[in-house]
Amino acid sequence: MNKLVKLFITSISAITLALVSFTSSFAKVDGEYIVLGSAISLTGKYSSNGVHTQNGYNMAVDRINKMGGVEVQGKKYKFEIIYYDDESNPKRAAQLAERLIKQDGVHYMLGPYSSGLTKAIAPVTEKYKIPMVEANGASRSLFTKGYKYLFAVLSPANQYLEVAIDLAVEKNGGKPVRIAQAFEQDAFSQDVRLGILDAAKRTGSEIIIDDKLPKELNDMAATLAKVKATKPDVLVVSGHTKGALTAIRQISEMKVDVPMLAMTHCDAAKLSKQHGKNSEYALCASQWHKNLSYKDKFFGGGKKYARDFQKEFGYDPPYQSAESSAALLVFKDAFERANSFDRDAVRDALVDTEMQTFYGNIKFGPGGQNVAKPMILFQVRCKGDDCENRVVAPTKWASDKFYHPIPKWSERS
Amino acid sequence: MGNIKQKDLILYSGLIILGLAAPYLFSAFKVQLTYLCVLIVLAMTWNLQGGEMGYNTFGNILFYGLGMYLTASVQVGMFFPLAEWTESGGEKTFVHTTTQYFQGIGVGLLVAAIIPAIVAGAIGYAILGLRGHYFAICTLGLGIAAGEIAGGIEIIGAGQGFTTPPFPAEIVDNEARGKFFYFLSFALLIGTFVFVKYIYGSRFRLILNAIRDNEDKAEAMGIQTMKYKIVGWMCSAFFCGLAGGIMGGLIGYIDSTDVAFDGREMGVFMVLMAILGGKGTLWGPVIGATLFHFFKEGLWTFILGWQYVALGVLIVVIVVYFPEGLMGWLREKYPERFGEVIDEKDRKAQVELK
Repeated sequence: MNKLVKLFITSISAITLALVSFTSSFAKVDGEYIVLGSAISLTGKYSSNGVHTQNGYNMAVDRINKMGGVEVQGKKYKFEIIYYDDESNPKRAAQLAERLIKQDGVHYMLGPYSSGLTKAIAPVTEKYKIPMVEANGASRSLFTKGYKYLFAVLSPANQYLEVAIDLAVEKNGGKPVRIAQAFEQDAFSQDVRLGILDAAKRTGSEIIIDDKLPKELNDMAATLAKVKATKPDVLVVSGHTKGALTAIRQISEMKVDVPMLAMTHCDAAKLSKQHGKNSEYALCASQWHKNLSYKDKFFGGGKKYARDFQKEFGYDPPYQSAESSAALLVFKDAFERANSFDRDAVRDALVDTEMQTFYGNIKFGPGGQNVAKPMILFQVRCKGDDCENRVVAPTKWASDKFYHPIPKWSERS
Repeated sequence: MGNIKQKDLILYSGLIILGLAAPYLFSAFKVQLTYLCVLIVLAMTWNLQGGEMGYNTFGNILFYGLGMYLTASVQVGMFFPLAEWTESGGEKTFVHTTTQYFQGIGVGLLVAAIIPAIVAGAIGYAILGLRGHYFAICTLGLGIAAGEIAGGIEIIGAGQGFTTPPFPAEIVDNEARGKFFYFLSFALLIGTFVFVKYIYGSRFRLILNAIRDNEDKAEAMGIQTMKYKIVGWMCSAFFCGLAGGIMGGLIGYIDSTDVAFDGREMGVFMVLMAILGGKGTLWGPVIGATLFHFFKEGLWTFILGWQYVALGVLIVVIVVYFPEGLMGWLREKYPERFGEVIDEKDRKAQVELK
């Protein structure tokens, strides 16, 4: 026992020493670098979108640094990001935010991927008064909690598919439609659902199927069987990338005929590439599309961004990457206008943001959400075996007409 | 004997002083230290059930999650309409005053301790008749079911999750929140340790061990095993609920399957930590949880993307090389330090026999 106690005490003191020497904190601005922190989902259920987000951040950091960096008080600084893997888990994300702020001395944060994780990180950044510009947390509840240091470059989640219901009603000759819907059990998808409920109420439409899908989403056959039986006018599905992939896979397998299919995350799931013709006619909500006519001096326009992104990472940028890149542009702009590294000065500059980026106009509302940018809808259309996302709404950017109704499977080649 | 007691006293007071000083010594690590306290509590309470009683449960996460939701709900519900708080589209923002916050969390934790214990009693009555694998599988289902059910209850936020009340803004000190949760969890750790140590010296532990070693025989000896099994599980649930309540406040956001009923992580970790340290010992879970936490925090960030592979390897290594845990391994290596006397002649004789 004696020796054991000694051993124990020795090891504890050793650990203590090691920790004390490790605690030496880094600085928010390290030499010529402005250090930003981000917990991102590199593993777990959001890993593919986490990587899209990270690629978007990295692309913007490289570009801004190459084009002269950020000028504060006459000196040029470069961006640098410290990443951690939050494992798609809110508990881990909150802990890592704390770690970034307390141990790595980060004074400015970039958001994680998904609303749930942003919800977990926001209380931490708020507590330490750390400005966070996030690009992937769209849940409406993020913007009603009175957070003062949270800024989102994207439109709130409830706006994602509201337009789709309006479109369905319009195609139905102004008469109410019958809606079937299935949403994943997470903050973002549930908010999309609230948007649909609002739209249904407004148009007098009836919701005939209202299903909840599990988080590890690999099967929704039960919902689709019901859809087959009840023949609704619109089927709405939202469940991040996995939701989009599962829906298309099973709809084509089960040959479910529905006049209109509205979804989210089609581009992140690379639907048009992965499922080709099976995904044709799917209507998708998107924060951004490369054909939009917004411009900035770093990335040029959307098309140029898409080309550069393709060259760098080998795939077409989904909107998750575009909005993430935009977050960096917002930070750069705010630092230069604040002309200081004082967190509150930067925060105040963020409040006054009013700018155009390749991704869209950005201006923050009182809750921190972006109020200057509308959502868009695109539809997957194919020529032969080559499928593409074409913008169909709003009309200002529409390159194609909305195709309705979706032909029956028996009539599709 | 008196000598050892004195040694223990030095050890305990040393650890308590270290624990009290820790948030000041490693100010930046307060959150990790809080996690450590909670992990140790979870490992110790699991050990009570899995190690001492031999009923391997994956269901303790149920009490942890229940405690988390209860604390937050009480904390909000005492002062504001809960449904409006959790409604995501709601435009209203409620703010707790300092007194409301602490009153709420106090009452919330009380509820979070009692209700899980009652639930454990009720569920235990129903399923503690199962033994071995059947019990383990059944409890595995408990946590999963609870997560899915909680994800459908609107008043606690359903799939949207539940944002717990933010720490009162009137307290300007940035460090106050970290310290508050650290000391809360440290107090819980001490409470749990004292309780478990008390049990270790009691007849109750012997009964639990008897159930583990041969339940039928124990019953034949006149022990009402069912009664003791239920009480044992209720004790685990009591502390698990408290741990969950503290974690909910610390994390600030409760998600039904990823934070509260997080069987995939916390639920497995608590078993792993107890086994790593050595189940069925007082110090095993403490050492196991500490090592595990250091391993996780230290290595996780250096092997981004591969951390779960590393964890898998760790589990294999533990099971293959330390099936009895670190304490068990030490005990086998140095039995005399655990106060076990070995008759050399007898040992040799046995080796020859083999």
